[in-house]
Amino acid sequence: MNVSVDYIAIFIQFLVGFGFVATTMVATHYLGPKRKTADKLASFECGIDSQGNARLPFSIKYFLTAILFVMFDVEVIFMYPWAVNFKELGSTGFIEMLLFIGTLLIGFAYIIKRGALKWE
Amino acid sequence: MNTLIYTACLGLFGLLAEIFNLRKYLIPILVLGLAVIFSLNLQTWNNPQTHFNGMLSDSNFSTAFSGLALFIMLIILILSGDFYTSTDDEKHISDYMAILMFTLCGALMMFSFSNMAMLFLGIETLSISLYVMAGSRRFEVKSNEAGFKYFLMGSFASAFLLFGIALVFGVTGTFSIDGIGNYMRMHADKLDPLFIVGMLLMIFAMLFKVSAAPFHFWAPDVYEGAPSLITALMSTLVKIAAFAAFYRLLSTCFVFALGKAEIVLTVSCAATLLVGNLVALVQDNFKRLLAYSGISHAGYMLLAIISLQGRTDSALFLYSVGYAVASLAAFAIAITVFKATGTESISGFNGLAKKNPLLAASLTMAMLSLAGIPPFAGFFGKYFIFSEAFRNGWQNMVFVAIISSIIGVFYYMKVIVAMYSKPANEFEIKPTFAYQMVIAVCLIISIVLGLYPGVFTKLL
Repeated sequence: MNVSVDYIAIFIQFLVGFGFVATTMVATHYLGPKRKTADKLASFECGIDSQGNARLPFSIKYFLTAILFVMFDVEVIFMYPWAVNFKELGSTGFIEMLLFIGTLLIGFAYIIKRGALKWE
Repeated sequence: MNTLIYTACLGLFGLLAEIFNLRKYLIPILVLGLAVIFSLNLQTWNNPQTHFNGMLSDSNFSTAFSGLALFIMLIILILSGDFYTSTDDEKHISDYMAILMFTLCGALMMFSFSNMAMLFLGIETLSISLYVMAGSRRFEVKSNEAGFKYFLMGSFASAFLLFGIALVFGVTGTFSIDGIGNYMRMHADKLDPLFIVGMLLMIFAMLFKVSAAPFHFWAPDVYEGAPSLITALMSTLVKIAAFAAFYRLLSTCFVFALGKAEIVLTVSCAATLLVGNLVALVQDNFKRLLAYSGISHAGYMLLAIISLQGRTDSALFLYSVGYAVASLAAFAIAITVFKATGTESISGFNGLAKKNPLLAASLTMAMLSLAGIPPFAGFFGKYFIFSEAFRNGWQNMVFVAIISSIIGVFYYMKVIVAMYSKPANEFEIKPTFAYQMVIAVCLIISIVLGLYPGVFTKLL
């Protein structure tokens, strides 16, 4: 096995990926017409002047809910391979899954008790 | 393995305590639980086993270090009762305790891993819990800064570790440390360059975790900003866990390729010794002083690791025990003084000998043990590391280490001088009962180990 030959494919892939981005960026820069106005150069080009500072405190409720959703969503992925092999794994597998779900359930109860899901 | 599972159960119990409003009984139950786990842990002595398809393996090495980690956590829990007293703390006490238990889980994984995946999981469990704990004083800017800095730097180091593991896997085709060790034995004369790059990346990540120079910059800021109790945890448990994992990694996986990494480790060791001790000389904040002292101790432990041509795990263990008990005693006294005087600078210790001679004598003993003066455990820890290193042909490094430990005596003396010869301030300083017990137990262990170091030198 020659390691350096094996990696040539990855190198070509890298070259093509990088080259595509570089080429398109350079090409559009030179090909497209440019009509600069003050409005067009503003950071948010929506027709309304941006006001105030972008660094404002904002509610993290969305973020918290989203991350909790991801956590309990990903957990379901572990159940697919378990469900497929349910018969082979037998009672040991069942008990192991119960332990896993039980641990998660404690976490879930903790989240509710802590009030992480309270919207008001 | 059972130690790890029971500790995780204690962590879950911490979360359940939040649900069932058991906060008052939480700390006593956890202390009791840890004491039980400590005695159960002893059963794995001389009973090496592998678990979970070679993911974890119990050995005398892991049992000894797990025992030390459980002991440190026990002390931290006993100290935490009188540390978390504000209303905000009381609201979050079960969170803190659960996270501390998961920190311990990470450390236990790092002692007994036999697969790279478990090494990474252990380090991450330990680190992520600590990022949270370092920033756990939510309304203090310094604590926030500590948590954020630690998180940013730590995630970089973790990325290095993962990349290193990936490269090593790419060459050897296995995650098991024995498998990688076997590969090394067979290919020791012509190693793949990718393997060496991977090994160096992993070594860099581990050097970061033990806060060795030149990867030490996070340590003083994080130690200063984090709550004092968490600083005590970081400078004892975390440092020892990282060193044990580092030792295990090098002695099982990379022992045949160490020649390639020797220069990196040697330079880092010398730099750590000199930077830690020299910069500590000009520190005014006691926590920063202990942070730099921790960096210099990392240098001595690193010396034990790089001279591992022989087996130096007993020297490393003895050093870890001596360092841990002295640091815990120093932190227990420092927390008391910080709380009474409201300052973390060394001037807070001014005239302590006149107000509370016993406390001042205790801190003097802890400082002398850290400086490596007989008859304390710190001296014999250093002595064994130096003699092992000397025997294995590292005379130059031993020379650097001895010079730097002479420099080290100066800054430990700075605290002692402040206590004994500066005019006293008006604050009354008296440790609570739990703190008195902890200080006494730690110092007794330190002295006993200093007088009978043979207890641990033939252990592993």
